[in-house]
Amino acid sequence: MDMEFLKSELNELAITDHQRLTGGRMGRRKLEDDDDNNNKEFKSKNLQAERRRRQKLSDRLLTLRSLVPIITNMNKATIIDDAITYIQELQKTSQVLSEQLLEMEGSSEESVMPMKLEIDVAQHDMKKCGIKEEVKVSNIDGNKFLIKIIVEKKRGCFTQLVEAMNYLGFELSETNVTTFSGAMLFSSCVHGKYGDTLMVEHIEELLSEMMKSMKKNSQSTIELGNTN
Amino acid sequence: MKVYEESGCFDPHSLTDCQELMGLPGATPTNCHNSLEDTLTVSSYNHHHHEDASAALDMEPHQHYLLDNTTNSHSHLIPYLTQDLPYDQSHWESFNVVPSSSSPEAAAAAAAAASAYTPTPDLLSLFHLPRCSFLPNPSISFETTPGSPSVVYDPLFHLNLPPQPPVFRELLQSLPHGYTVPADDKDAARVGGLYHDGDNGIIQFTRDISMAGRAKDRDKAGKTTKHFATERERRVHLNDKYQALRTMVPSPTKNDRASIVDDAIKYIKELLGTVRELKILVDKKRCGQERSKRLKTEDAGSAADAGDVECKPLGDPDQCYNTSLRSSWLQRKSKDSEVDVRIVDDEVTIKLVQRKKINCLLFVSRLLDELQLDLQHVAGGNIGDYYSFLFNTKIYEGSSVYACAIANKLIDVVDRQYAAAPPTSSTSL
Repeated sequence: MDMEFLKSELNELAITDHQRLTGGRMGRRKLEDDDDNNNKEFKSKNLQAERRRRQKLSDRLLTLRSLVPIITNMNKATIIDDAITYIQELQKTSQVLSEQLLEMEGSSEESVMPMKLEIDVAQHDMKKCGIKEEVKVSNIDGNKFLIKIIVEKKRGCFTQLVEAMNYLGFELSETNVTTFSGAMLFSSCVHGKYGDTLMVEHIEELLSEMMKSMKKNSQSTIELGNTN
Repeated sequence: MKVYEESGCFDPHSLTDCQELMGLPGATPTNCHNSLEDTLTVSSYNHHHHEDASAALDMEPHQHYLLDNTTNSHSHLIPYLTQDLPYDQSHWESFNVVPSSSSPEAAAAAAAAASAYTPTPDLLSLFHLPRCSFLPNPSISFETTPGSPSVVYDPLFHLNLPPQPPVFRELLQSLPHGYTVPADDKDAARVGGLYHDGDNGIIQFTRDISMAGRAKDRDKAGKTTKHFATERERRVHLNDKYQALRTMVPSPTKNDRASIVDDAIKYIKELLGTVRELKILVDKKRCGQERSKRLKTEDAGSAADAGDVECKPLGDPDQCYNTSLRSSWLQRKSKDSEVDVRIVDDEVTIKLVQRKKINCLLFVSRLLDELQLDLQHVAGGNIGDYYSFLFNTKIYEGSSVYACAIANKLIDVVDRQYAAAPPTSSTSL
């Protein structure tokens, strides 16, 4: 009994939308010329559709209302307003908290420690498992290659690999990267963008050289990090 | 009727008013009967047993109120709360009078309530409910010790019932202060100004209601019915509010009301999750800092041996037992890209889908390095018209990055690169 009252209240409030919408739709006005049967059919379908639409909206509004803890009045307009206020509040809270977090992050010294730890662990693991660094390139078709690289896992090594690919003018079609025991396996199907076909051995050479320079670079940064 | 009068739990005076206003002879009051039947039987029972009154009233009405609230809160409140305003106001006045004057006992009860349960005085002034709601007459507290009226007000607080009268009080107060005559300005600026000020939100809204009323009064000639004007204004108003709600959501989709509400629901849930996550992170951070501070003072010599600072929290006085698993899930969508970030404990799973134009892999991996995320697994490539990638990463120890930040930065970077890239060829250098 009360739910119907509520529904009728809400429907009453929504009836203006209905009036507005049927003006633009092919609904009632045009079909005055058609058969009575067609008219009634369309009318009832339209009515049902409209009822369903209104029901959908009111259900969602109820859900919204249930989420917002502070509600003032219980009509459609104020629930929207209350939701807006609540969202603003939550945004403010999250901003305050994130600023607090940033502050704390700035003053803490924990992040410096893990770098050296990781690297030692990684080198140790890889040697233990007998994983060797590797560069393997195979030609699939014309300008397409399959590149497989096993490298010691370090911070930012993936970025360096992708940069290397870009430098060589390769576009990565399918890429797959896995890590295990301090080693990273990079496997990618690439194709050259720049038209000129490179030879497999050439590519392998270039890649090995790049990896060596990567290693040197990363080692120097570690040393720098240690002295700090 | 006699039962109600005796129990004092249900105001017979307002019952008749209900009937008048409803225009339905017996329909709504019978509803009241049904709803309050249990409570009334309880209270009438209590009425006859004075000795048990304090104990019984302490527990049962409380439970009954809560039960009623949880099961059929809407069905009872709505008929009363959607009534016309004058009705509320008149009863507000009458109710206002009651605690202050009528009987010294009532005042004592109110005072006792104030002392026994400190938030109540504010609540009392706020929740001037129409009498035909569950609010029991202060006379009920006569039967109990003055110390227990906290029971009387507690369940109502949980109801979160709308504070109607103070809204009107504020409205009346706010009218002289800088009240602008509403011209036909329905522009976004005004709407924006309305919703920016979260504190005065309620006041502003009531201003609008009064504005609508005012407009109706000074309606120009030529409009056949005054109703059309207010109705149209109200509709436009409502649409403005929907649009305002839409602007607050980060990635709005369709522009129809149901979708707007849907987006808002999702966004509120997301915000709640983010706030929860941030709180956990702040707590962790604080614990970590306290711990490291304490350890530093304890052994200043072993600062070089980084491995040993792996804490031994045995016997720590203020150790934090943070056993809650942190988890969050966010999605961000833009015109050409979609980002999905899930965090469980220290593992972050990122899914990225972008329309095929540039290979964003480089930028994404740079961003992940920046965010101090350790890549464990990457998979993806070209699917049809799109690039789709999945990243499994781990958060480095000590970093406190949170889902919202990751998602936002990621979608930002990806969108920017997409926009920056030339439309025809794809160069990712």
